[in-house]
Amino acid sequence: MTEDLFRREHARLVSVLVAQLGLPRLQLAEDAVQEAFVRALQTWPYRGIPDNPPAWLTQTARNLAFDQLRREQNWDRKQEGIGNARDLWMGSGTGEVPDPTDGFGDETLRLLFVCCHPLLSPEAQTALALRTLCGFSPAEIAAAFLTTEAAIAKRLVRARQRIGDLGVPFTIPGPEDLPARLEGVLRTLYLLFNEGYRASSGDRLVREELCHEALRLTLQLTAHPILHQPRSCALAALMLLNAARLPARVDDAGNPLRLREQDRTLWNVAMIQRGVEYLGLAMTGVELSEFHLEAGIAACHSTASDDTSTDWIRILAFYDQLTRMNPSPVIALNRAVALARVQGAEAGLRSLDALALRTTLDGYLFYHAVRGTLSAEAGLGEDALLHFRRAESLATLPAERAFLARRIAEIPR
Amino acid sequence: MNPQNPTDEYLLLIRGTHWNHGMSPAQLQRVMTDFYAWVDGLAKQGVHRGAQPLVEEGKLVSGPRGATVTDGVFAESKEAIAGYFLLGVPSLDDAVRLAQACPILEYGAQIEVRPIADLCRPMAEVKAFGS
Repeated sequence: MTEDLFRREHARLVSVLVAQLGLPRLQLAEDAVQEAFVRALQTWPYRGIPDNPPAWLTQTARNLAFDQLRREQNWDRKQEGIGNARDLWMGSGTGEVPDPTDGFGDETLRLLFVCCHPLLSPEAQTALALRTLCGFSPAEIAAAFLTTEAAIAKRLVRARQRIGDLGVPFTIPGPEDLPARLEGVLRTLYLLFNEGYRASSGDRLVREELCHEALRLTLQLTAHPILHQPRSCALAALMLLNAARLPARVDDAGNPLRLREQDRTLWNVAMIQRGVEYLGLAMTGVELSEFHLEAGIAACHSTASDDTSTDWIRILAFYDQLTRMNPSPVIALNRAVALARVQGAEAGLRSLDALALRTTLDGYLFYHAVRGTLSAEAGLGEDALLHFRRAESLATLPAERAFLARRIAEIPR
Repeated sequence: MNPQNPTDEYLLLIRGTHWNHGMSPAQLQRVMTDFYAWVDGLAKQGVHRGAQPLVEEGKLVSGPRGATVTDGVFAESKEAIAGYFLLGVPSLDDAVRLAQACPILEYGAQIEVRPIADLCRPMAEVKAFGS
């Protein structure tokens, strides 16, 4: 059995069921798929894995959805005395069959646009899409948003309530509605990619399959005539330029390697090339999004032949622009790293001390890892130890703990 | 004193039917991979003699001539039997040791280890009395 069967099948099964049941039954489809996985776990270890696991899951999820509909229909019939075979399969009868010529070319992408409904808050759109289409747990979504699991669970409940209260129709948006939804979809794909790039759960530091799924969907999106916007291309560029470096990010034992330790011959040159091409496509308008700036940073790293020739001054300039556009603590943290490379570790530390939102970062492993690194570089051994220890206590993956243990061992004392 | 004798077979009753609810696909995947590896290990050690999952709902038949048939909610879902594994091992200790390695215990499932007896207790008592 392949290691990522459930996650891969989740999006496919939800899409298949929704295509049969109609979009208003998204929740039903999601529940049926979840239950099919639970059934698999209750059956396969005892009876063996079926010859064709995807087919087994599809059939089981379909049967579960059908049973649920039959129960609802019996209920409706008692209530109103109506119901026919078409209603049974098309949900409430208002089900909409996707038009194969609508240009999405992919069921998951189509459903992403359905989830990112402008009546929902941007956070709710993304949380719902990550949960429903990407199969993320509330804990994984919480990690993506730098918040708690409980907050995400609440956000999801509220989103579903709002869908019910406002009667938000889960329908495929027409061409005129697409631009308003593009932002939410791009943000979702961005978070999906990031979760793969630095996994917050599981036992692997990198979940490449998530990166590749996000990249695949983004490239598919840029092929759509209306969605081929500069910022879509910028996001595609960002993903290509970062994904190209994935093969070098961990060593053979799965331990993370710092940029300066990576074997650059492992970087995927063809992907970098493509990334640069997409960055060119992204520059065709006047628009400058965060994705543009982040792609610019990724391009600086990916095109540098070694660590010392990296254009840190330019990278810092990109981070300055990013900070003005989005004063988020995470961006400020990355900027501090770039600043330290240009002006020295003390300057980096001073910029972190000046951060107003430091409390948000206190539970964030990367913050303490960066402070530890900069403190060590500045010769502040005690501070370095303190922050590496704190980072260690926040680490969830064995590879992260090993990485931090090495940093602690390197501190001169 | 119990006149029953154990055989070289032991039944692991997996208790708990809802421990895997509310998990994300990724979590379910992880448990599935671990659980399956455990089953695979039993087969490789040559001790796996059979296993079946049980449907959660069933009927409870009781009373003279089975006059009473109820929908059996047999136990709290934490204790309800989800399935069994039949192991061929020489001792109860061996069976317990194998059960301890089962990864689903971490998620709240419980495993009851029962030796398969040569005779049921009333029969064993009759036999012991006769000898």
